[in-house]
Amino acid sequence: MEDKTILHLQDLCVSYVQTGHEVSVLKNISFSLKEGEVLSLLGESGSGKSTIAKTITGLLPPSARIKSGALTVAGHLRVNLTQRAILWNKIRGTVLGMVFQDAQLALNPLFTIKEHFREALITHKIGRASDVLPTAANLLKLLGFTEPGKVLSSYPFQLSGGMCQRVCIALTLCLRPSVLIADEPTSALDATSQKEVISLLKNVQRELGVAMLFITHDIAVANAVSNRVMVLNEGNIEEVGETQDVFSRPAAEYTQKLLAAHSIRTTVSAPQGLDAKPVIDVVDLNKAYSKNNSVIKDLCFSISEKEIIGVLGPSGCGKSTLAKCIAGIEPINSGEILYRGKNLVHLRGRMKRELCRHIQMIFQDARASLNPRYTAIQLVQEPLNYLNIGNKKSRKNKASTLLKQVGIDDAAKFRRPPQLSTGQCQRIAIARALTLDPKVLICDEAVSALDVCVQTQILELLVHLHMEYGFAILMISHDIRVLRYLCHRIAVMQCGAFCEIDSTDAVLSSGKSPHTKRLLECVYEM
Amino acid sequence: MCKTVFRRLIGAVITLFCATLVLFIIIRLAPGDPIEIMLGRPGDLAIKNTPAYEARVAELHAQLGLDQDMLTQYGQWLKRLVSLELGTSIHTGREVSIEIAERIPATLMLSLAAILIQLVSGVVFGIISAIRAGKILDHVIRLFCVFFASVPAFVIGLVLLMFFAVTYHIYEISGDANIYRLWLPAITLGLVSAPQLIRMVRANILSELGQTYIVSAISRGLPKKQIMRHALKNAMLPIVTMMALSFTNLIAGSVVIESIFSWPGIGNYAMNSVLLHDYPVIQGYAVIMVSVVIMANLLVELLYMLIDPRLRNRSRLERGLENE
Amino acid sequence: MSKGKPPLNLIAGIVIISVICVLVMGAPVFTHYNPLEQYPEERLSTLSKAHLLGTDRFGRDIFSRTLYGGRTTLASSFLALVCSLVLGLLIGLTTGMFSGTIFDIIVMRIVDVLMAFPFMVLAMIITALFGTSLMHLLFVVAIIWWVPFARLTRSIVLQVKNETSVAAAKVLGANTRAIIFRELLPKVITPILILATFELGTLILSISALSFLGLGAQPPNPEWGSMLADGRAHFFQAPHVLLGPALFIVLTVLGLNFMGEGLRDYLDPYEIIKL
Repeated sequence: MEDKTILHLQDLCVSYVQTGHEVSVLKNISFSLKEGEVLSLLGESGSGKSTIAKTITGLLPPSARIKSGALTVAGHLRVNLTQRAILWNKIRGTVLGMVFQDAQLALNPLFTIKEHFREALITHKIGRASDVLPTAANLLKLLGFTEPGKVLSSYPFQLSGGMCQRVCIALTLCLRPSVLIADEPTSALDATSQKEVISLLKNVQRELGVAMLFITHDIAVANAVSNRVMVLNEGNIEEVGETQDVFSRPAAEYTQKLLAAHSIRTTVSAPQGLDAKPVIDVVDLNKAYSKNNSVIKDLCFSISEKEIIGVLGPSGCGKSTLAKCIAGIEPINSGEILYRGKNLVHLRGRMKRELCRHIQMIFQDARASLNPRYTAIQLVQEPLNYLNIGNKKSRKNKASTLLKQVGIDDAAKFRRPPQLSTGQCQRIAIARALTLDPKVLICDEAVSALDVCVQTQILELLVHLHMEYGFAILMISHDIRVLRYLCHRIAVMQCGAFCEIDSTDAVLSSGKSPHTKRLLECVYEM
Repeated sequence: MCKTVFRRLIGAVITLFCATLVLFIIIRLAPGDPIEIMLGRPGDLAIKNTPAYEARVAELHAQLGLDQDMLTQYGQWLKRLVSLELGTSIHTGREVSIEIAERIPATLMLSLAAILIQLVSGVVFGIISAIRAGKILDHVIRLFCVFFASVPAFVIGLVLLMFFAVTYHIYEISGDANIYRLWLPAITLGLVSAPQLIRMVRANILSELGQTYIVSAISRGLPKKQIMRHALKNAMLPIVTMMALSFTNLIAGSVVIESIFSWPGIGNYAMNSVLLHDYPVIQGYAVIMVSVVIMANLLVELLYMLIDPRLRNRSRLERGLENE
Repeated sequence: MSKGKPPLNLIAGIVIISVICVLVMGAPVFTHYNPLEQYPEERLSTLSKAHLLGTDRFGRDIFSRTLYGGRTTLASSFLALVCSLVLGLLIGLTTGMFSGTIFDIIVMRIVDVLMAFPFMVLAMIITALFGTSLMHLLFVVAIIWWVPFARLTRSIVLQVKNETSVAAAKVLGANTRAIIFRELLPKVITPILILATFELGTLILSISALSFLGLGAQPPNPEWGSMLADGRAHFFQAPHVLLGPALFIVLTVLGLNFMGEGLRDYLDPYEIIKL
C-alpha cells in the first residue's frame, strides 16, 4: 500500500483578539498526515493543539484571526485558510470528521441516536433511507455494542459517558471521512472507560483505514495510540517524529521535560516509625443521599500522624464524598469521625469550627475554590479572619510568609485569581489551607486538572511542605502515578467501601483484589 | 412518571383549596355587614323594610350561615362553589353563574385570537432576530420589542381606536362581540404580549447555538437549516412554560382591553361590577379566574412532562450492553 | 464577566431615567403653574406655548400636573418595589439556605397560592371590598410583588450553595453570615438588580392601567394614573389630555427597559461560532 499524504497543513498562523490586543496562538505550524496513519498532537493546555483542529474544520470563534495557512486534503481539495468565505460544507463531515471531548454534550439531548444517524446520512446523501439503520447498527457493533438496536432508540441522557463517546465516534465515521480528528476524546472519561474507548478507537481506525489526528495532553495515551507524534508548546512545534523514536530519544528540551514529569518516582521515604496514635479515625461511616442511594457503606480506617495516604478509585465510587465528610462539610448518616480521639460528627457552630480547623482541604478546581474578588494575600488571610485569630498585622505577616513558601512572588501577591494561572491558584489554595496549622490536609483530586509539568511542581511542593510542617495528607485521586509518587499507603475504593488498603508497593505491584487489578490494567505505561 | 402526575394533581387541588380559603378570608375581612354587602346597601334600594327585602335577608342569613362558626361557613361556601352556585347579582338580579357563562365565549374568542397573534409573531420575529443577531434587522426588532413592552395596553388601544374608529370609521364602536370587531382588540393584546415571547425565543435560540452539540452538528457538515432545526427544538421547549405565565398577564390585559373596546367579556363585566359594588359578581369572577389560572398551570406542567424526553422516562441503559 | 464598553441601550436608559427624575424632582423650576389651580376659561385647550401639554377638563395645566404627579407615582412605585425586593431577597435567601426543610416547603406552597391570583384580579377584589385608592393598590403590590425576587434569589442560592467556593469557605471556618455576604450575595445582586428594573417598569404599567380604569389614585391628586382616568371621559374630543401622563409613563418604562436590557448585555454577552 502506497503511503499517500491525505492531509497537509502549511504555515498556519493563528491569533486571538482579546480585549483589544492580539495574542498569537499558533506560529508557523506545518505537518502532513499519511493515509491510515495516526498522528498525535501532544501538548499542555494553551499549546494550541485544539486550535489546529478548529482551524482546519472552520470552527474557530469570531475572535480568531488566521494570518496565514494553506490546507490540502485528499490530494485535490486546496483551501487557503485566510479567505473569508470558504465552502466548509465540502470538507466537514465527509472529508474531515471530528470527535469532541465531552461526548454527552456533543449529542442533541432531544434527538434519539437513530435520528442523529438518519440526519447525517440523509443530508450527505449516503445510501438510501432504508440503509440508515443497518449502516448505523454495523458501525455500533464495530464499536463494541452488542445490542445496537436498543442504543439507537435511546436518548443521549440514557447512555453513560463512555457509551456516548463510542456513539459519537460511530456517528462521525458513518460519513466515511478520510481523516478523523479526535480532540481529547477520553479526557472526560474515567480510567476504565478510557481504556475501552481507546482500544475500540484503534480497532475501528485500523479496520476502516481512516487516518487519525489524535489530540491529547497525556503522554502515555499518545504513546499507546499513535504512529507518529508532534509535540507542541505555546504554538510552536517542538518535535515531530515516529512515536517510539521521540519518546525513547527525545531531541527537544521540552519533550524531555514532559517525559521527566510523567515518570516521577518516589523520592519520599516513609517516615521512621509512624506514630501508633492515629490523627483521624473513621469508624463505621455511612452516608446515603436518599433511601436507595448509599454512597459510603460501613467504612473504617485510620490515618496516622504525618502519614500520606492515598485513596484510589474510579469516578462515582464515593471518594470525594468521603473527603467532604471527613472535612466536615457533608453530614453523615451514621458512624464516627474522630480527630485525635474527639468525635467531630455531632459538633456544631463554634466548637465545630475550632476543632475542624485542624482538618483542611484543597480542591480539584483551584480557581473555583478562590473568591475572584480578592487578592492573593487577602485570600490567604481569609481563615484567620473567620476564626478571629491575631490582629491585622500578624495576619498579613503570616500570609506573606506562607505565600513565599508556596512560591508566589511579591508581584503576584496583589493579583486576583482571574489574573493568575491555575498552578498559581492551587498554590494560593495550599497556602490558605496551611494558615490554620492543620494536622491533616485533604487533597481532593488537587492535581488532576493541572498540566503534567505543573502537576509535578505542586506534588513536589506538597512533599516539601509535608516535611517541614509534618501534617498528614489524605490524597484522593484516580491517577495511579500521582499516588505512586506521593503516598505511604494506598486505599482502593469501590462502591463506597475500601476493597484494599496497604502500603503503596504492596498495592501497586500485586493488587490483591480483582478490582485493584482492573484499575492497574487501565494504566498506560511507557 | 404516573407518580409525578398524581403528585402534581394533588398539589393543584391543595393550591385551589388554599386559594379559595384566602378569598373567603378577604371577603369576610371587608368592612361592613356581609348581608348588606350581598344585597346592596339599604340606602340605595327603595325596597327596604318591605317583606320581600326581609325575606331576602332571612334567606341569605340562612344561606351564609352567619350564626355558625367560620369553618362551617367556609365549608358551606365551598360546597356552593363546587356546584357553581355563585350567588345573585345585585345590579341585575340574575344568577352570577349564568351571567358569567354568557360572557365567557366573548373573552375566550378574544384571548385565543390574542394568543395566536402573540405566538405567531413571537416565534417568527424571535427566530429572525436570533438568526440575524447583531445585525440591523435584529436591532430593529429589539427596538420594537422594547417600545411595545413600555407602552401601556390601553394607550395602544385608545390610539388604534382613535385612528380606525373616529378618524377613519373603519372600526365599529358598539357593544357586540363578533368576528368583524375582533381584529382590533386582538391585535392590541397581541402587540403588547408579543415582546416578552420574542425576547425569550431569541435568548433561548442564541443560548442553544453556543452549545457543544451544535458545534458537533456543524462539524458533521450539516447545512444551516438543519442546524437551526437542532437549536429550535431545544429552544422551544421552555417556551411552553412561559406561555402559562403569559396567560396570567393575558387575563389582566383583557380586562383593560375589553373595557376600552366595549367588548362584552367577563373582564368588562367584572370591571363594571367593581364600580357598581356588585360583590357577588366580583366574588364569582375571582373564584373562576383563580381556578382557571391553577388549571392552566397544571396543564402546562403536564404538557411539558409529555414533550421533554428527559422527564418522560428516566431509565438509563444497563452497562451490561457494552462489551467489557 | 467581560466588561467592554457599556452598550448603547444601557447609556440611553440611564439618560432617559435621569432626565425624567430631574424634571419631576425639579418641578417648580420647570413650571410655574400650580397643579391644582383651575383656569375654567382655558379648559381642554390643546398644546400651546402657555400650556406645554395643554389643559384638562377643569382647565388645569397638564404639564405641571404631570411633573408634580410624577413625584407621587414614581416615589410610591419605587418605594413599593424596593420593599418587594428586600422582602423577596430575604425570603429567597432563607428558603434557599434552608431548602428542603418545613419552612421552605411552607413558603413554596404560599408562593403557589399567591401565584394563582393575577394582580389585576386581586386588585379588583381589594378595591371593590375596601375602596379604591392608590394605597390599596400598593397594599396588593406588597402582598404579591416579592414573589419573582424570591424565586430568582432562591434558585441562585440553590445553585451557588453547591459550588466549590462555598465548600472551601466552610472548610476554612466561615460561619453562615460570612458565606452569605462573601459568596452568596455578590452572585445574587446583579441578576436581582436586572430583574428589579424590569419589574419596576411592569409595576408602573400595571398601576397606571388600574388607575386608568378608576381603581387607583383618585382625583384631584395629580398622579399619572388618576390623570389618565380623568382624561378618559373626553378622550375622543380632546385626546391631548392623556398625552402628558401617557408620554411620561412610556418614557419612564422605556428607560427602565433599556437599562435592564443594557445591564444584561453588559454583564452576560454571548459568543457564537458563525454558521
